[in-house]
Amino acid sequence: MASIMERVLSKLMNKNVLFTVSFLVRLVMVSFGVYQDRTMVVKYTDVDYHVFTDASKFITQGQSPYHRSTYRYTPLLAWILTPNIYLSHVFGKLLFITCDVLSGHLIYLILRQRGLSCEAACRVCSLWLLNPLPAGVSSRGNAESVLTALVLATLLCLELRQLPMAAILYGLAVHMKIYPVTYALPIALSLQRKENVEERGVGWWRRALGFPLRLLNKELFLFAGVAGVVFCGLTVLFYNMYGWDFLQETYLYHLTRRDIRHNFSPYFYMLYLTADSPWSLALGLAAFLPQALLLFLVSLAFHTDLALCCFLHTAIFVSFNKVCTSQYFLWYLCLFPLVLPRLTLSPKQGVELLALWFAGQGIWLAPAYYLEFEGYNTFLLIWLAGLMFLIINSFIMVQIITHYNPSDTTQRLKAE
Amino acid sequence: MDSTFVHSSTCTVYLVLFGSTQADENSCGLSMTWLETVSVTMDVSKNGFHRDLVTTVDFGPGFPDGLETLLVHRLPSGIYIDQYQLASLKEDTGLQVLLGSAVDLEAPAHTSEEFLVLVYPALDQGILKATLPIHGRYHKPSLAGKRFELVEIKLPKLILRTDTCTQLISFPPYKIVDAPCTVHNLSICQWLEIQHLQEQDPVSLEIPLGDGSLVEPVCAGTLLVTLLCCVILSRSIWMHGVFLDNAILI
Repeated sequence: MASIMERVLSKLMNKNVLFTVSFLVRLVMVSFGVYQDRTMVVKYTDVDYHVFTDASKFITQGQSPYHRSTYRYTPLLAWILTPNIYLSHVFGKLLFITCDVLSGHLIYLILRQRGLSCEAACRVCSLWLLNPLPAGVSSRGNAESVLTALVLATLLCLELRQLPMAAILYGLAVHMKIYPVTYALPIALSLQRKENVEERGVGWWRRALGFPLRLLNKELFLFAGVAGVVFCGLTVLFYNMYGWDFLQETYLYHLTRRDIRHNFSPYFYMLYLTADSPWSLALGLAAFLPQALLLFLVSLAFHTDLALCCFLHTAIFVSFNKVCTSQYFLWYLCLFPLVLPRLTLSPKQGVELLALWFAGQGIWLAPAYYLEFEGYNTFLLIWLAGLMFLIINSFIMVQIITHYNPSDTTQRLKAE
Repeated sequence: MDSTFVHSSTCTVYLVLFGSTQADENSCGLSMTWLETVSVTMDVSKNGFHRDLVTTVDFGPGFPDGLETLLVHRLPSGIYIDQYQLASLKEDTGLQVLLGSAVDLEAPAHTSEEFLVLVYPALDQGILKATLPIHGRYHKPSLAGKRFELVEIKLPKLILRTDTCTQLISFPPYKIVDAPCTVHNLSICQWLEIQHLQEQDPVSLEIPLGDGSLVEPVCAGTLLVTLLCCVILSRSIWMHGVFLDNAILI
């Protein structure tokens, strides 16, 4: 029995088999979703998918997608999903599962670029491809996989030093969701010109003065220029088409969002209780400072390894954010397979940390269920569970930072 | 003499018939006696923030042909209805509802207003019933240690008409009101408002509230924990970070 399992697993770790099986599994989930929607009261498809489709319908009628209330995304998404109206209602889901499998492929390519063997890379990216969480999210009709594919493609192009392409993908990613803008500092730091032998010989204060000169180099200007043109071009285009609504719903809403309804954020209860108080602005700022400080520190500390840097960036951003829903977890989960090969944690420790992460979510979900669906007043428990989840996330991140083994960069450069 | 008698008796018959019609039944087939048997009951089922408002219309025998009923709900600001959920329910269960105005799905209760909902109940095994999914809004935190807010929903108004009707004649004590003929809202019809309905207390549901008296410990606790986690992470990043790239460019 064990040898049969081993043989099945080794066959599965063949690259072509793995990707084909992953796509087929997602296809089955989409088909089941269609069946469930037609026959059962509880629907498989997420509410967001209906929001996207309704917005696309407005576009096909020549109107603004923002006529659909709660549509808070770029018009580009509604435009891409117009075949939902013209061809079939499942087009969007097929697109999202394709982007999901594409994200897996990009993870594979980045891992190979960082020196992993074909088999090892397959094993690691099977953590994404055979993972029910991203598969479930995409097959339910959430558009997160489009963004994970864009972010991973940007990282791949940066690894391959294809800067114009990386910049285009980065500009597109920031246009779709704001959070990749936090990667700007690590990317800028990673593009700095390396110190040559003479520069290393002088005192530290002269090296510090030389730093801005090394930072502001040709490559950075190329990257910033191309990304800026893409982002601003799309912004101007959609502003001309849809006006203030576009800016308000796509960007301003997310930047000023004060959702007082319960969510994973540690700040949720504090913001709910102070929503109408004069302190709310000061408290919002107090909540922003730890997030900003940590992001700055992580950029300075880990910019040499962009995958780790972006992973920590997003994990910190999500954990310390004023609003946090489970969809946000995918933003850093897609980068975790890139970090995994260089972790020196034993499998037992890894599984323990994973169980801890799930336990943290469970501790929050229980009182939240009782509040929303049974009507008990569990606000205090939800608040404490939110704080606990932050502590658990911080602990896990400390374990990852402590047990990370950066690659031997001198050897790699010599080989080049 | 004979022709006069026949003529006058015919007139008398007409008068009697016309008079009795006016006393008991108007031209729309709705009789006073039958209308007095009509009653409405309302109940809230399920728990938590997502409930079902079930309204049932009971009536005695003698159901007029082509009867159309409409329940006019005036719902308080403490709850809301999801028009997109209604659209999908319309396809699944045939629920027919018209919203009086656009409803903000995310606003808290103190910035929302009451709104009008028109429900066209369907005949379900001989009784007229409508199940409306309602959702509780978040309310302002209480300062006095109150843990729940009571949201009261008043009984809806019931209005009737029949398909065969072209002109409703004034039929006191029942008022005549104008409302959309069907859920498609293409034309306005005249309806008869039933007011004698069984006096029922409004139904109420409890919505949990945040505890405003805890605002100081919650703020202090939150900021303390986030600061602690920030310090621990910063320390770890500082100790393990590669701040200067030590690679030698050859």
